[in-house]
Amino acid sequence: MMADAKKIVQVLFEANNIPIPPNRAAIFEQFIKKPGSEAVIRALLANQTELMEKWKLENRIMDIAQQPVRILNATVGKPYETWFDFDQLKWKDIAAFEFTGLEDIGLTFDPKTSQLSGVPAQSGDYKLLFRYRLQEEPEDAPYHEKVIPIIINPDPKSLWKKLDSNQQDPYWKEDDVTAFEPLGDRSILVSSKRGRSHANVGSFREDDFAFKALPGGWNIVVVADGAGSAKISRKGSALACNTVVEYFLDQPAVEGMAVFDELLKQYKTDNSEIQKKINQHVYNNLGKAALHVHKKLIAFAAEVSVPVKDLNTTLIFTLFKKYETGYALLSFGVGDCPIALLNKDVSEVTLMNWIDVGEFGGGTRFITMPEIFHDQKFATRFGFKVVEDFSYLIMMSDGIYDAKFVVEANLPNIKKWKEFLADLGGKNEDGISVALSTANPDIVSQFSAWMDFWSPGNHDDRTLAIVF
Amino acid sequence: MRRLPVYLLLDTSGSMTGEPIEAVKNGVQVMISSLRQNPQAIETAFISIISFDSTAKQLVPLTDLASFQMVDIKASGTTNLGEALHLVATSIDNEVAKTTADQKGDWKPLVFIMTDGIPTDDWQKGLEEFKKRKTAYTVACAAGSNADTNVLKQITDNVVSLDTADSQSIAKFFTWVTASIGVTSTRVEDAGKEVTGLSELPPPPAELNIVV
Repeated sequence: MMADAKKIVQVLFEANNIPIPPNRAAIFEQFIKKPGSEAVIRALLANQTELMEKWKLENRIMDIAQQPVRILNATVGKPYETWFDFDQLKWKDIAAFEFTGLEDIGLTFDPKTSQLSGVPAQSGDYKLLFRYRLQEEPEDAPYHEKVIPIIINPDPKSLWKKLDSNQQDPYWKEDDVTAFEPLGDRSILVSSKRGRSHANVGSFREDDFAFKALPGGWNIVVVADGAGSAKISRKGSALACNTVVEYFLDQPAVEGMAVFDELLKQYKTDNSEIQKKINQHVYNNLGKAALHVHKKLIAFAAEVSVPVKDLNTTLIFTLFKKYETGYALLSFGVGDCPIALLNKDVSEVTLMNWIDVGEFGGGTRFITMPEIFHDQKFATRFGFKVVEDFSYLIMMSDGIYDAKFVVEANLPNIKKWKEFLADLGGKNEDGISVALSTANPDIVSQFSAWMDFWSPGNHDDRTLAIVF
Repeated sequence: MRRLPVYLLLDTSGSMTGEPIEAVKNGVQVMISSLRQNPQAIETAFISIISFDSTAKQLVPLTDLASFQMVDIKASGTTNLGEALHLVATSIDNEVAKTTADQKGDWKPLVFIMTDGIPTDDWQKGLEEFKKRKTAYTVACAAGSNADTNVLKQITDNVVSLDTADSQSIAKFFTWVTASIGVTSTRVEDAGKEVTGLSELPPPPAELNIVV
């Protein structure tokens, strides 16, 4: 110790301009060994040590204060947990600590597991207060404080407003419609709902549908999806649906459809001659209906003096009739709404139409576009199928298709349709099931609830029609 | 789900020291908090932060708003804008999903650039690389009188300028960026359409001059 002491005193003296010349070195040695000097030097050394410890402590506290501590963001209503790894944080010298301000945001801290957990109730950028004492400090020393920011996101579902659409609007339609009715020898369950994106700003449902048992034993189901970018597409889709039904109720169309009875009697899959005749007839009858809708939309646009594109809407419709030998199904489609026919034991799916999809969204086609009718592909927009029986005929708008099938490539995949039916049967996040049975008295409310499924990024109008 | 990628290229060169860099940090914070309140943005918008000074760094990779945490940024060094353009190009390659038969790709990215100076590196080389990538739109902001709008004009048609790089002006710029991201995310979700240029974005505040 005294060797150190000598050096320390030397440094101290030199710092104060008191040099020790060589000829006084011996006297200096004696001076620091004097009992009086020795005690002072000891005290000096002790104070020095204490001062250094205090500075170290101060530094440590500053280090902790400035150390960035990031904890995972939380979300309102979602169970949250995170751990404080004291080893990783290099906080092993913390002797005691506590968190304050946790109760306010619905979290608790378990000191045994160092786990922060809970279900946050309120969103915002909060500051947790971490209060602690270091090992070097006495037990009664006041705690130091460190602020740890935590972000609590709002529940995304709570951000969507549900504003009523304006009922005074001349083209107003109900925001949500769900129906269950007999259709021919089968039943139809159909729902059309305004998307959250529309409800959020109080705008209208742009999807629409119609169905009807027609004279001559035919039945029709129509789905239309008004374009988001078109000003009164809600009217376009409604007009398209109703016009198709009206068309087939008219006597000339009824007669035209009656011709199928004779043709289908002769129908055999290996007879190409009769197939050709049938295809020709599908083309003529359904093509005329499509053109009739197109003209009606143009006439309506002129009547109310708007560009026809303001009425832009997609259109799909299916006619089906039960014969002794089975069902005949005819279809037409423009746009991105699929029509699928599932066989009796749901082992096969037949897509009645191909869908107009672009590389990016918005690449679809509308019944308002004249080029549809001049296009070479027009003839391929029709579907014809004779089956002994079927389990489901399913038609949907892209609000359902995008969320449940995502890409076109999934549509021919029977596995995806089985998953879709399982989803309807309750295999979904909310556990909402729809029993697809005529004996189910709650079918409408169940289906309506199912239609409100949550799917991030998919908040468009939804229309789904199921014939079973 | 189709994500809306947003890249923020922030000048962190020495000249940004003090008020400007603090304003940028604050601007990003406020922007994130505010976008979290937008139902469409919180689901679709993904944000990445790229800083550029003597080097360019991707400080935050493309991250959803709910998980996003702002990092500390400090100002020092030169203005390697070219390197930042190169970095955003490779980040787009690595992070933005392309549409294939089995998946719906992401929306085209939005790129916002903010700088208060003149590039000190071979920026044209970086630009060449950046131009090969498709963006929905790129907006460049010249903060203060030392920035060269002529350079920025070669990067994008959409150039805005701030008379001074003070905290108020920078805050206004970020408020407008926030509104632009909000409008774009609503538009892609509702109409399924991308926004392609300045004319489709909310009108900029008075502090922001459109450079023609």
